[in-house]
Amino acid sequence: MQRRVLIIEDEKLIILSTQMVLEASGFRVDSAMDGEEGIKKARESAPDLILLDIMMPGIDGWETLTRLKQDPQTADVPVVIFTAREHSRGHQRSAAMGAADYFRKPFEPEELVELVEKHCGQRQRS
Amino acid sequence: MKHLSDIMDGVVCVGRGGEVALVNSVAEQLLGVQALVATGGDVTALRAAGEVAAALVADVARVRDGAAPEAERTIEVFGRDRELRYVRCATRAVLDYQGAPAGAIAVLRDVTADYKTDQLRNQYLSIVAHELRTPLTGIKAFAAMMAKGALGALSERQQEACSSICEQSARLEHQIDKLVSLGDLESADYGADRQVFGLASFLESVVTPFREAARERGVALTVRSEAGDPELCADRGELRRSCQALVENALKFTAAGGAVEVAVLPEPAAAAAEGGAGCRFHVRDDGVGVAPRYQRRIFEKFFQVEDPLTRRHGGAGLGLYVAQGVVTAHGSRIEVSSEPGRGADFSFALPLHLPAPAGVGASGGDSNREAS
Repeated sequence: MQRRVLIIEDEKLIILSTQMVLEASGFRVDSAMDGEEGIKKARESAPDLILLDIMMPGIDGWETLTRLKQDPQTADVPVVIFTAREHSRGHQRSAAMGAADYFRKPFEPEELVELVEKHCGQRQRS
Repeated sequence: MKHLSDIMDGVVCVGRGGEVALVNSVAEQLLGVQALVATGGDVTALRAAGEVAAALVADVARVRDGAAPEAERTIEVFGRDRELRYVRCATRAVLDYQGAPAGAIAVLRDVTADYKTDQLRNQYLSIVAHELRTPLTGIKAFAAMMAKGALGALSERQQEACSSICEQSARLEHQIDKLVSLGDLESADYGADRQVFGLASFLESVVTPFREAARERGVALTVRSEAGDPELCADRGELRRSCQALVENALKFTAAGGAVEVAVLPEPAAAAAEGGAGCRFHVRDDGVGVAPRYQRRIFEKFFQVEDPLTRRHGGAGLGLYVAQGVVTAHGSRIEVSSEPGRGADFSFALPLHLPAPAGVGASGGDSNREAS
């Protein structure tokens, strides 16, 4: 079955480029331009993985992550933080908040695919 | 004594028996004591004056005991205006001509302005980096997909142009990274932000930005791992920047026809920084080398080897300083072995990531996270 990735990200360019990279590797990609929309889509479509930006208008990525993890419907979907900003101990902070990983933009396409492959199957296993 | 009261720093001198010999006017203000009252009395009597004074008393006791020859710390205090202030206190033991303890001297400085400037600079750099990285993410991804032929077949010239965009964008990314690394490293809460990653793709990401420059300069740039493709648990971004600083440095000092090699070798268990199996990263070149007298100093901030032949290569003298800071935060140290004229070998060891036993948490690497 085709695995589905949801990107929550306010930059169209990043959505497009990420989508292109992941689709070329056989993933189906859906996107949301802010946290609220992202949470809604995550509840409706139950993706295999969420890529989540931090700096977004409205509720930011950290708040979105908290809400996704509190909601029983989305709590077990692996979330990868996807950021272009330096965050002090970002890996540790995102791990403590329940994110599966922390990934920096710009990225190498191979690394992104590798990372998404790694986390996509995690829900079924846990 | 007139000049002591004029200097910008606070100065406190303590005699052999612990009596206060001198408190200048800046120290009076920073400590909240009066020189007239304090001078001649025991230094411990100052303790009650406030947090800065208490820290000073404690450090004077330490250096007088011989627990350490010197002590330095920054104390956060609320000033009279209720604003947070930072005071740096450096204390040193004073020895007499026979080397026997003869008291202590402490120098106090209000570093609030420096702290605030650093904070602003780091915030600013972080925003600039974000603004530059966002478009770069798109450029990199699209160019990589085109170069791979994912958007249709390319002619040879189109292929060349695409590869060039990939390399140039990696180079630009490296420049942005350098911009923010220094700010990160010098921020008060810097610590290695560890994650688990594979060695092979990491090594590739280290050298990509330099391939074209190496080709242009006629220097062979190669990557080799004799340790296979194990997993590491480290701050990937910072470690990449550090390795890149070493590669950049090696390329700078290697002439056309020379070679730069990034090699990873297995490190015997005992020598790895945190025990267990490890690997050693080497960045080797056959360039001009580093004279023994500079082998320690090259890691100092802003240091440049002042050789008229090599000086023209520019650079700010930050690359190796930042690299050493990052490697140190990982519990290791960059070592240099070099003979002038016969190249240099910069190396450091890191432990390998050993997967947690099955059933112990899905997010591997947590057990190592606070190791530094």
